[in-house]
Amino acid sequence: MTYDVWDGDDEAEAGRLVPLYILVNGRTSPRNTNLDLATQVIALPVDATRLEPEYRDIVRRCNDWMSIAEIGAYLGRPLTITKVMVDVLLEQGFLAVGSPAQEQIVDRRLLEMVLAGLQRL
Amino acid sequence: MHVDRKSVKVVVAGGFGTGKTTLVGSVSEIDPLTTEEVLTQASVGVDDVTGIEDKTSTTVALDFGRITITPEVVLYLFGTPGQDRFWFIWDELAQGAVGAIVLIDTRRLDASFAAVDYFERRGMPFVAAVNRFFGECLYSEDEIRAALKLDPAVPLLWCDARDRASSKQALIELVRHAMARLPVAT
Ligand SMILES: Nc1nc2c(ncn2[C@@H]2O[C@H](COP(=O)(O)OP(=O)(O)OP(=O)(O)O)[C@@H](O)[C@H]2O)c(=O)[nH]1
Ligand SMILES: [Mg+2]
Repeated sequence: MTYDVWDGDDEAEAGRLVPLYILVNGRTSPRNTNLDLATQVIALPVDATRLEPEYRDIVRRCNDWMSIAEIGAYLGRPLTITKVMVDVLLEQGFLAVGSPAQEQIVDRRLLEMVLAGLQRL
Repeated sequence: MHVDRKSVKVVVAGGFGTGKTTLVGSVSEIDPLTTEEVLTQASVGVDDVTGIEDKTSTTVALDFGRITITPEVVLYLFGTPGQDRFWFIWDELAQGAVGAIVLIDTRRLDASFAAVDYFERRGMPFVAAVNRFFGECLYSEDEIRAALKLDPAVPLLWCDARDRASSKQALIELVRHAMARLPVAT
């Protein structure tokens, strides 16, 4: 699947568009295939004031770890768009990414931690 | 930059109205959130995402919640959409998940058949949780297992999706089941 989120000229349809200048070399769907809806990101201590408002909103939301699904929910943006925008921010060094949930879970230690955590609830 | 912050996923599945959102809400540390995924035709053009409001695309709402396990590990609980036809979303949710809780309403056993079938085919660990809507249960465990063609190895439990302790127990059973299926360490 290769989408391009930016649609050149039509400002009227620009509700959820990626601004032109941040769109390096015409972005397609997330390059990082590990970016799944549970993947968490966090803002890096970088000045984000010059970002387009849509991007700045994401960075601001991420002053603590936050999943892509949460960002989409809080900002009212579809997951597909959120993923692409987060990917742009990762690439440009505004966000850091945690381990993806995507890897096959064969990690007994992680499951043991989850089990202990649930039992403590 | 890559940091050791881990996300663990659990899918809460089952037929339409079986209590998925209720279960997510009862055990989540935040009120359940809703996010949307936009589905379009398989072959998409360049304008597809920007034209997401147009009629060729469908928006599917996903409910989810979270439980902080440790400062590094967060468990996300995703409810599947009530309609069975959005398999694309199911795949996205199931990918890398620990497993699934399949909720069952005994008044409509067939409503959860597609979910059972899905996880069985994928070989993904799941537990079947009978949601006791009004404390009643019309069938015995054997009858439910037979009706849903449940593999004998799949745990079957009773729960009340509104009750936090009960939802928590269903999660615990799922994680135990997933661990039991791991290859034995050598
Ligand atoms: N009495 C009783 N009602 C319940 C229970 N669980 C859920 N309900 C109710 O059943 C209805 C459906 O529950 P939901 O949690 O929305 O079910 P769902 O599976 O998310 O539904 P869809 O997303 O529409 O498929 C709601 O009105 C709940 O309040 C239960 O254990 N007992
Ligand atoms: Mg629901």
